[in-house]
Amino acid sequence: MKKALLLFSFVWTVLAGAVETVEIRTLLEDLALERIDDQEATLQELADSGDEYVTAFVDAWRVGEIREYQQAGTELFLVQEVSGKYIRVSTGETIDISSEVYESLDKNRAPRKLRRLLTRVTDTIGLASKNVNTRVEAALKLGASQRAEYLPELQRRFENEKNAKAKRAFEEAIMISLLANAETSEELIGAVIRLGELHSIRAKDKILAIVASAGESGDEALQVAAQKASDMISDHEELLKHAGSFFRGLSTGSVLLMVSFGLAITFGLMGIINMAHGEFIAIGGYTCYVVQGYFSNWFGESSPAFQWFFWVSLPVSFAVAGGIGFVLEKGFFRFLYKRPLESLLATWGLSMVMRQAFRLKFGAANVQVANPDLLLGNFEYAGISMSYARLFAIAFAGFVCVLTWLLLTKTNLGLYIRAVMQNRNMASSLGIPVKRVNSMTFAFGCGLAAMAGAVLTQIGNVGPTMGQAYIVDSFMVVVVGGVGNLLGAGISAMGIGVFDQFLQPLFGPVMGKIIVLGMIILFLQWKPGGIFPTKSRSMDD
Amino acid sequence: MAHIPPKKHTPLILSVEGVEKSFDGFKAINDLNFYLEEGELRTVIGPNGAGKSTFMDLITARTKPDAGKIKFHLDNGEDVDLTRVREHDVSQLGIGRKFQNPTVYSSHTVYDNLKLSLAGERGIFHSLFYREKPADRDKIYSVLETIRLVDNAEDLAGALSHGQKQWLEIGMLLAQDPKIMLVDEPAAGMSDEETERTGELLLSLAGKHSLIVIEHDMEFVRQIASRVTVLHQGHVLKEGSFDFVKSDPQVIEVYLGRQTRKH
Amino acid sequence: MKLFDNKIEFGGYLSACVVLLLILPAMNAFFPEGSSMHFSSFQLSLWGKYITYAVMAMSLNLLWGYTGLLCLCQSLFFALGAYAFGMYLMLHVGVDSVYNTALPDFMDFQGYTALPWYWAPFENGAFAIAATLLVPGVLAFVFGFLAFRSRIKGVYFSILTQALTYAASLFFFKNNLDLFGNNFILFGGNNGLTDFKEIFGYDVNAASTQRWIFVMSAILMLVVYLVISWLLRTKFGKVQQAIRDSENRVRFSGYSTTTYKMLIFVGTSMVAGIAGAFYVPQVGGINANEMSPAKSLDVVVWVALGGRGTKFGPIIGAIVVNIIKSFTTRMYPDYWLIILGAIFMLVVLFMPNGLVGLPKQLAPVWARIRGNSSTSAIAAS
Repeated sequence: MKKALLLFSFVWTVLAGAVETVEIRTLLEDLALERIDDQEATLQELADSGDEYVTAFVDAWRVGEIREYQQAGTELFLVQEVSGKYIRVSTGETIDISSEVYESLDKNRAPRKLRRLLTRVTDTIGLASKNVNTRVEAALKLGASQRAEYLPELQRRFENEKNAKAKRAFEEAIMISLLANAETSEELIGAVIRLGELHSIRAKDKILAIVASAGESGDEALQVAAQKASDMISDHEELLKHAGSFFRGLSTGSVLLMVSFGLAITFGLMGIINMAHGEFIAIGGYTCYVVQGYFSNWFGESSPAFQWFFWVSLPVSFAVAGGIGFVLEKGFFRFLYKRPLESLLATWGLSMVMRQAFRLKFGAANVQVANPDLLLGNFEYAGISMSYARLFAIAFAGFVCVLTWLLLTKTNLGLYIRAVMQNRNMASSLGIPVKRVNSMTFAFGCGLAAMAGAVLTQIGNVGPTMGQAYIVDSFMVVVVGGVGNLLGAGISAMGIGVFDQFLQPLFGPVMGKIIVLGMIILFLQWKPGGIFPTKSRSMDD
Repeated sequence: MAHIPPKKHTPLILSVEGVEKSFDGFKAINDLNFYLEEGELRTVIGPNGAGKSTFMDLITARTKPDAGKIKFHLDNGEDVDLTRVREHDVSQLGIGRKFQNPTVYSSHTVYDNLKLSLAGERGIFHSLFYREKPADRDKIYSVLETIRLVDNAEDLAGALSHGQKQWLEIGMLLAQDPKIMLVDEPAAGMSDEETERTGELLLSLAGKHSLIVIEHDMEFVRQIASRVTVLHQGHVLKEGSFDFVKSDPQVIEVYLGRQTRKH
Repeated sequence: MKLFDNKIEFGGYLSACVVLLLILPAMNAFFPEGSSMHFSSFQLSLWGKYITYAVMAMSLNLLWGYTGLLCLCQSLFFALGAYAFGMYLMLHVGVDSVYNTALPDFMDFQGYTALPWYWAPFENGAFAIAATLLVPGVLAFVFGFLAFRSRIKGVYFSILTQALTYAASLFFFKNNLDLFGNNFILFGGNNGLTDFKEIFGYDVNAASTQRWIFVMSAILMLVVYLVISWLLRTKFGKVQQAIRDSENRVRFSGYSTTTYKMLIFVGTSMVAGIAGAFYVPQVGGINANEMSPAKSLDVVVWVALGGRGTKFGPIIGAIVVNIIKSFTTRMYPDYWLIILGAIFMLVVLFMPNGLVGLPKQLAPVWARIRGNSSTSAIAAS
């Protein structure tokens, strides 16, 4: 029922739009051919329609692409060329004439006064658009022009506007315009103060100019107000910058989190320091690349089906890396159990072999993985611009957390994993298939890393050494979080990610990294076992 | 709870008063009072989680108590506050500890194991320019005889049997010439014969040293025990002779009771 | 005090002295090029490089093999020593023709006209030599103090030292550092320090200078070997190995293990630093690549392959791996990393005692083969 209603309203909107457009077209044709008496009312009607065709018509008209056409026995009407076809303005129908005939037609020329009025309409027509973002853009553009003639129109729209975002934009535009057009100094000060309250970054330069000029002319009240407003705006900018850092930190932390879960599990469960874990990230990245290649062969890059390559490669990279991890566990890693130092060396060797294998197969340079349309662009909230790709990384990390939590607490495998982590021998003697549990868990950890790699294709580079960039950080995450503790790993991943992003703008990426490392060492002075230390009763650990 | 120290026959060497220790909200030690006389052999028993290991950690300054006093009484009448001593200085004061699992230096010979444990300087400079004196050698051989490892003096400690490692570790304590020896489950993993010999060894040490022995094996406790302290939930439940403790209904309930029920 | 375990070791040591200090330099100096007896200068500095690597491996072995601390910043200490001495060499390149200044070229590029204060003292040779010891030493002291104090050990120690190396290499890869509005020029960035001319007034590239540097590197290695042999026989050395086996027992025996570990850590960092100083003039440069975390792990595999916890192992490991490296990178450059990776894996899985321990490891196998053949021989008869 609900669906049907939705569909109905959709169809209705489209039809209504179409009907309206035809009316507007007729109006325009009549107006241009001077068949209308009340020009003022018609112009108002056009302006209120917010229809985009009006602008298109006026643009074409200006360059002489609106021609007058009269077939024998019919009335005079207007023809417009649109991408090689000839269209009747009033109805939108295609007219079957040759280009020679079109070229021979007279250009429609309306009186100057009408043209000027029409241009005014097209300047402000965006203010009436149905699309909120178009309205906002149009308003701010008019505001920035600081031309007094738009002020009444902006004022009128501001009073009638229902949408909060658009209303705010109208107000901002009015105030910016008033900076140049205020009639009294009270009005000017009012505008300055209001802009400060609105945190208008667009007005900052203009307000700073006012600070300077007011300083020269000795207008103290204005100078103080403008200074205060510009400070408010600067504070807001600072806040936005921090929010941006925080957001980027969260997304970096999300990738770290997915990587370090696998590390934390393999370290906690098997006592293995897996230096080759980063290469599973690369496997994820390259899987994405390969899947992209297949999709491009099958569907072509412009088809909508191609967009699906990324969503398909997420589970595929999990499966591929999981499979490779499973085989490696059986043939290599299981010989390294509970020998952390030796495992560190052997897996480093494996990591080298894998990196070189990537290089031989895919080349030393980075490969390109496209962004699906869905992850292109930014999402804006309260002035903070967040890329969809990073938002997706955060959301996906959340999904992975939930998945891991479900696996550990709701499945038999999870029960087994927890049992083996706590006491391998006891678990084994209780009949838990320890070997299978190990292989499965290891494969799961590798799969997580690969999915992190797939997500990374959207916010970073894919190359043979892409895993190396994350491996030192993710080991830090494991150490800080407390070995084998997933909650600790989660908290420290986010913490390190955010800290890193906060320090980078202050000290540069390198010093930022060094400071993070220093803080980690100091943190371990305070809590040597990490956030959640493992409790042990044995004397020699 | 006010606790009156036992009537003094011989001077005290260690007193633990009102000690508390919790880990993440779990009270491992709760108002613990404990007194050890010079030359005494004391056995501490108690079910799992009674706080026996934490008790030893506290005496050896491995963990610090949340509240309470731990005093080590020196011969010269001075008291040392063990809660303010660094871990590696505890042994220099004369307190030695044997761990539950035998910890010996497996890649050194038995002889070297003892040599490293001999009482004396522990500084870096000393260790760089140390030369063995005949007196040191005699001391090591006397310890080797006590722990019956003379024939194994040049064997690698890692190659010894489990029981021999336990003895070697006791020997390493002896080499330190400690006033108090803390011995954690010395009979674990030993054959009956080895267990009996260990008992004899500990009995022969009493008098010259003060000993605190933690043990689970009741046969062994019967063999060595003069005075037994029962820990329960980080608190002293009962203290007295083995027979007294064994027949106490409360002790049977929390500790022996469980064992008899199991059988 | 006896320094050698047996006559074979003593004999080996003596022959190494003769070959390294007399025969090789003599073959280089007294036989003309083209003669079958000639040992080329290229070969000489190549082996000189191996020797400095071997010293670095020996220092790591003292930490890892004998004390149980797997340190992943040995290459950092090595590189710091190398940089300290490289800075001295860099400030003695004379006036260059392009910029007409005595400053290193990378400073000229950036419009520097005077040496920054942290570069200036390195013009002094004695200061630079002291710095090759002190810079790694102080870093090791500070890091070791923090790490050992909070009882960071085992694999945590490895991870943190690796992170330290990583951070330092990032720093040295930079050309400049902007900090609090000041710009500091660093140490040559990617290219590092290179194109040296003079060392203590001698032409650094002359065959005779190179020969002397080689001989001194060899002396360094031989002396370090003796010091390690001595150390292992002292009570200090025994405490050290006891820490590896059971640190808690050592602490409960009254030794401040923290102090012992600190001394070993600082001492080995200084040895690695001097080795680095000898590396620079023989290779003709130093850059941040030498301190990357990967290089640190390479040193570990030299020690592991040779045999950790043995006096001779690290030397053999460093030389064998680097010979394989020179050969493979020339003949099959694509496969070098795969081979190196395979060495890492194989050594850990199959050769826990390294090359030095191989005869002992194979003895039972050999005995079984011989035993089988003799029983089958009996059966046949």
